[in-house]
Amino acid sequence: MDPLAVILILVGAAIVTVILDPVFKRIRMIELSGVITCIALLSTLILLVLDAVVGAPPRMIIFGPDSPLTASLKLDMLSIYLSIIFSGLGLMAAIYSMKYMLFEVEHLPLDDLFWVKVRELGLDRYYALLLTLIAGMIGVTMANDFFTLYVFWELMAISSYSLVAFRKWSWEAVEAGFKYLIMSTLGSLAALLGIAVLYGLTGSLRFDAVRVAVFGGGNMAAAFSLVMILIGFGVTAAIVPFHSWLPDAHPAAPTPISAILSGVVIKTGIYAMLWSMFKIFGPVAYGFSPALIGLGILTMSFANIAAIMQTDIKRFLAYSSIANIGYIVTGMGLAAHILRTYPSEVGLAALALTGALLHVLNHALGKGLSFLSTGCYILRINSREIEKLEGIGPRMPATTASLGIGLLNLAGVPPLSGFWSKLLIVSAGLGVPSDGLMLAATIIFIVNCIMAAGYYLWLFQRLAFRRPMLDGGHKEVMEAPALMLTPLLVLAAACILVTIMLNPVLQLIQSALEVILR
Amino acid sequence: MNLYEIYFAGSLLLIAAGLYIIASKRHLVKIVIGLEVVTLGVNLAIASMGIRIMDGVIVMDALAQSMIAISIAVAAAIAALALSIALNIYRHYGTFDIRKLRRLRW
Repeated sequence: MDPLAVILILVGAAIVTVILDPVFKRIRMIELSGVITCIALLSTLILLVLDAVVGAPPRMIIFGPDSPLTASLKLDMLSIYLSIIFSGLGLMAAIYSMKYMLFEVEHLPLDDLFWVKVRELGLDRYYALLLTLIAGMIGVTMANDFFTLYVFWELMAISSYSLVAFRKWSWEAVEAGFKYLIMSTLGSLAALLGIAVLYGLTGSLRFDAVRVAVFGGGNMAAAFSLVMILIGFGVTAAIVPFHSWLPDAHPAAPTPISAILSGVVIKTGIYAMLWSMFKIFGPVAYGFSPALIGLGILTMSFANIAAIMQTDIKRFLAYSSIANIGYIVTGMGLAAHILRTYPSEVGLAALALTGALLHVLNHALGKGLSFLSTGCYILRINSREIEKLEGIGPRMPATTASLGIGLLNLAGVPPLSGFWSKLLIVSAGLGVPSDGLMLAATIIFIVNCIMAAGYYLWLFQRLAFRRPMLDGGHKEVMEAPALMLTPLLVLAAACILVTIMLNPVLQLIQSALEVILR
Repeated sequence: MNLYEIYFAGSLLLIAAGLYIIASKRHLVKIVIGLEVVTLGVNLAIASMGIRIMDGVIVMDALAQSMIAISIAVAAAIAALALSIALNIYRHYGTFDIRKLRRLRW
């Protein structure tokens, strides 16, 4: 498959929905846009899965003559692995949106007459923005030079700003959208400044050419550009000093978009950091590993403590996303530290990176599942307060059961795959017992995992088993509609399927790692 | 001092000025203007990195030119989106003052 094909399918479908939108509105069938979106995402997913099953060799296409100046795209196992996660969760969110967004734009009670009129304009551009968001994310993983990466990055970023501010009738969404826009754009500009310095150093932006110039070691300018690139991508990945947009932006977005933002958009930041650190600059020549481990520990500890204090369930899940980013960053930091300090232990570093990449998948599944189930509760109760949701479990058994699987996966309860990804990182961290830094980081990691498992299970206990505090309980509450329940059940099945088929998934990750560590 | 060093220093000054505007101003539109100033600074940095001297003539690299053109287009899209969100904030609160907002704390 051509790397361009996937992006063309998604962007083409986005243009088709924009053109046909007035027609669908005239015949009062707005769901048709959603159907087009689902078909585009499904065909993308099938193409990518076929490539992963066949084990396609890495490919590259260059637009124009083969000079260091032209843009190009690549397709290797790492981009296939991440693109499958992105388009899979995108498909689930698109199916979910067809029912949920109608509720959001038509039935949610609203006081102000002006905003009621605005809202009646409906789902203009929603599906087109969803498609360009996924196209941008997949493009980021397929870019083969820094400037193509920046362009797709901005495609993804602009779509997500508008989707966060989509519910413009609520003050929360527009404020969070503005804050997200300013902070994330500053981050992208920092990355662009780093890219500009890199361009000045090497005269090219193609990954292979830049790698030749800076991999073995570099001067102050290369280190400056590395720091700027890490800060820039770290803002989107929500690493702690740059995280403050996330707990506002993710809850304010419509629920399917929250699932995509929390599940996969922040992972593009992780991908860009991983690629530039391990593939372009190399952890051996640049000593960024202690800083990375420190940032990871800071991120997960801060976010886990902050998550406990939340009363809003979406805000709670947003903070727990930051904590999971902390786990992944710690895994990458441990790998970088091992590669720099113990050059003979490449297998151990690969173990830590395998754990980090597997956790990307586990967190995408678990967090997507939790956010989508939360949307079902919002549909029925119209509240995000955990107190009001207490004891809803027996009324919505299927939703709550899927939420339970997602939360158990996030908590890392042993049979599920969320446990194995954390175990891989821990076992890599304990691989060199004489190293104090790694030992301390691993112990803090384990403490954080236990704390996180505690609050996930506590949340599940409150939702599923506690007696409702409201008068009369949730007597009138019904199970969520079938169209919204389907993605939940598929994602819950995927959680279990990944656990059963852990070996093929690990093989896929191994071949993805060969791309990075080669 | 080389020509590109002067340009690069200028671009860093522009970025610092833009960051100062974003940090100190209380008006939503002024914050968007600050963002644009930072973007201009980064564009100038790209330009300073693309300067080549061929046979005594100063030329700019083709990659730098295309990067700046695309970066300007992206910045225009972001500015349009930021201003539309600012307009929606004005419709909610009747003011552009960020101190009147409920949750906009950096």
